[in-house]
Amino acid sequence: MAHAEINTDYKTFKGGIHPPYNKELANSKPIEAAPVPGKVIIPLSQHIGAPNSALVAAGDRVEAGQKIGGTDAFVSAPVHSSVSGVVKEVAEMANFTGARVPCVIIEADSEQVPFRAGETKPLDALKAEEIREIAKEAGLVGMGGAAFPTHVKLAPPKDKPVDIVLINACECEPFLTCDHRLMLERPSDLVAGLRLLMAAVGAGRGVIGIEANKPDAIEAVRKVAGDIEVASLPVKYPEGAEKMLISVVAGRKVPPGKLPSEVGALVQNVGTAVALYEAAATGKPLFERVLTVTGPGIRNPKNLLAKIGTPVSTLIEAAGGFVGSPARLIMGGPMTGWTQENLDAPIQKGTSGLVALTEELIGWQEEEECVRCAKCIEACPMFLMPNYIVQAAKRGQWDQAEMYGALDCFECGCCSFTCPSFIPHVKYVRKAKAAIAALKKGVK
Amino acid sequence: MAEKGLAAAIAPHLHSEQTIKRGMTDVLIALIPVVIWGIIAFGINVLLIIVISCLTAVVSEVVMRKILRRKITLRDWSAVLTGLLLALTLPPTVPWWVVVVGSVIAVAIAKELFGGLGRNIFNPALFARVVLLFSPFTIYTTKFVRPFWWKNGGFWTLAQTRIDNSIGGRIVYASWGGSPINTLTTSATPLSLLKSGRMLGTAVTGATPVGANFLTSTGKPTLYSMFLGFKAGAIGEVSVLALLLGGIYLVYRGTIDWRIPVGIIGTVFILTWIGGSSPVYQMLGGGLFLGSFFMATDWVTSPVTRQGKWIYAVGIGVFIAIFRLVSALPEGVAISILYWNVITLLIDRYVARSHFGDATRPVFNRLPKLAARPLPVKKEA
Repeated sequence: MAHAEINTDYKTFKGGIHPPYNKELANSKPIEAAPVPGKVIIPLSQHIGAPNSALVAAGDRVEAGQKIGGTDAFVSAPVHSSVSGVVKEVAEMANFTGARVPCVIIEADSEQVPFRAGETKPLDALKAEEIREIAKEAGLVGMGGAAFPTHVKLAPPKDKPVDIVLINACECEPFLTCDHRLMLERPSDLVAGLRLLMAAVGAGRGVIGIEANKPDAIEAVRKVAGDIEVASLPVKYPEGAEKMLISVVAGRKVPPGKLPSEVGALVQNVGTAVALYEAAATGKPLFERVLTVTGPGIRNPKNLLAKIGTPVSTLIEAAGGFVGSPARLIMGGPMTGWTQENLDAPIQKGTSGLVALTEELIGWQEEEECVRCAKCIEACPMFLMPNYIVQAAKRGQWDQAEMYGALDCFECGCCSFTCPSFIPHVKYVRKAKAAIAALKKGVK
Repeated sequence: MAEKGLAAAIAPHLHSEQTIKRGMTDVLIALIPVVIWGIIAFGINVLLIIVISCLTAVVSEVVMRKILRRKITLRDWSAVLTGLLLALTLPPTVPWWVVVVGSVIAVAIAKELFGGLGRNIFNPALFARVVLLFSPFTIYTTKFVRPFWWKNGGFWTLAQTRIDNSIGGRIVYASWGGSPINTLTTSATPLSLLKSGRMLGTAVTGATPVGANFLTSTGKPTLYSMFLGFKAGAIGEVSVLALLLGGIYLVYRGTIDWRIPVGIIGTVFILTWIGGSSPVYQMLGGGLFLGSFFMATDWVTSPVTRQGKWIYAVGIGVFIAIFRLVSALPEGVAISILYWNVITLLIDRYVARSHFGDATRPVFNRLPKLAARPLPVKKEA
């Protein structure tokens, strides 16, 4: 098979920002296994969609990879135990957003039995519906953060055939390096995962889109890519946003309120593609993931392969603990992640990193009046008017908030990053989205 | 395990270097060449006028914010900038007390009474300039002197415009102390020369020479001298070169949008050309560059979308051209910008920004149909 060419002809999207990337803290650190905690807290629902119910009860013995939560609804993803041990209880615990959600708490055995690969078919022989079934049974969700069930994405509407599958390997969030390391260490698995995705939707074209600031990853993937295209993309946040990536690589614009299948595209994150490969090749469900523990407030930044449900504290310790006094600990990336005030919350399938930031680096000041400088408007990759969404939300004028694009916002945070008045636009957008949704419900 | 010092906040958790202070200080830095040229061309009085204007602006802001119980925000430098911009629109010999009146109007009324920075409808400095223009003090803000007049009178002379009522309200020049400066007389600006020449249908006569090397045979300054700054005019408008340097710096820093100055100046150029005037002379002769780069680009009072900025800029250009070609006024920059400061409210309300992927590409904003508003919202999360 001929070596793939690196395509560098792509023009970037309009808008966006250039945050400080700080990838060097962790991008040279090989992935290592995180310690297994004494107990794991596994939220029953870690996806967008219908909630799961518990399939185990207190006192039950579970093995690593055993399904412990599920539902019959289509838009859902089951959860599996990440350790071998005994279920202590099924109770409501605070997740990373601070919301209390039903969780299965499992006391891990001191001796962990490694997951044993099951019987699987050769990857070439898998049919589309078999791949979808594998994705569903393995509990796969988008691992870039949004956590949308993968098998749902793999079943696009019949009248909208998907002809291009994109791997979002941009990792445009500052600090995070887990996808970068996966590409360096497991490029073949990534390519195999992409081929499975293509087979599942019957797409002829597959592209792995990597930002140009990761030349080693581009080279590593190119060597094993075969006929898969490797795209070196301009460095800009949010290059890895689904709609941005599709427009940059495929030149197609997903209309407001529509899914990528509308324009015949499917986007999956690096971690998801690798997990799909693992699930198809060994039968392993998604019960552990690679994430980056990094930031100036972390002693030894690392990329860790951690069990889903591991408390934040275990992972901070594994990275040498805090150094100095970090002002914020963020689950996810610094542009979109959630602050953690304490270290009890468990990591989930969609957790791409833990980033400890110092006050100096955050550089956030008190909110001022909007001075209409239009920097948010120039930065918005969705071409919305963030300043007016905020104004409308402050006044409770929800029709205006919708007119200025509140519903099209995917909360990338470019507006607030660039705002000289330090306005937290995302906060107001979320408020507006909730209010508009309530209004529309009321109309029906 | 609660961890001390870890704060809760909403994403994003990073911020650019962009602050209000950075934007304001950028403009102040950009104006350094303009200020230096103003002092060189018109003497030390200019420096005093600038200092008085800025100080009055700062005091007005503090007093108004105390009265209105707002947070004192001097550290954003916006008051100082307003004071400086106002001074730059005034003649070099404007009496100090007129400057104080103008600066109070700019900050106390046009800015703070309208709600403070961000809520003002008018550019505060221009608002005050136009109020002074239509005030009992008009005469003090419309009489200009030639550059380098101080070669005779001395650089350190604090020359001011006065009205001598003993000789029928004639305009004279005197030091702050009151002793007359007989060597100093009023000089026509290039645009008033042009206007009177056009009106009389003759070559310009009776103009005070700016300096033999910089005048054409008709008594007008040459284009070259107008570009460099050898012409009569307001403190900050005379050197197009200095204004361009500052303007380019601001565009490079991303502090102003190039569309606004390019749109205004381009429109004025084309329309005065079509109108049979001298377009290059119109460009270089008056306050067009000061207004286009430093007044019309004010964040608060200009539209936020790119389309809106084009409409605004071309609109200002059309207004200026009409003023200059049709009215009896030679200038019209300040008043045109103020008109469009108001129209900006409509532009931002009606000009739609087509959202990403929206194939219908709407031109005008339309309200979506929702249930009755305002909606009772549950308390904030």
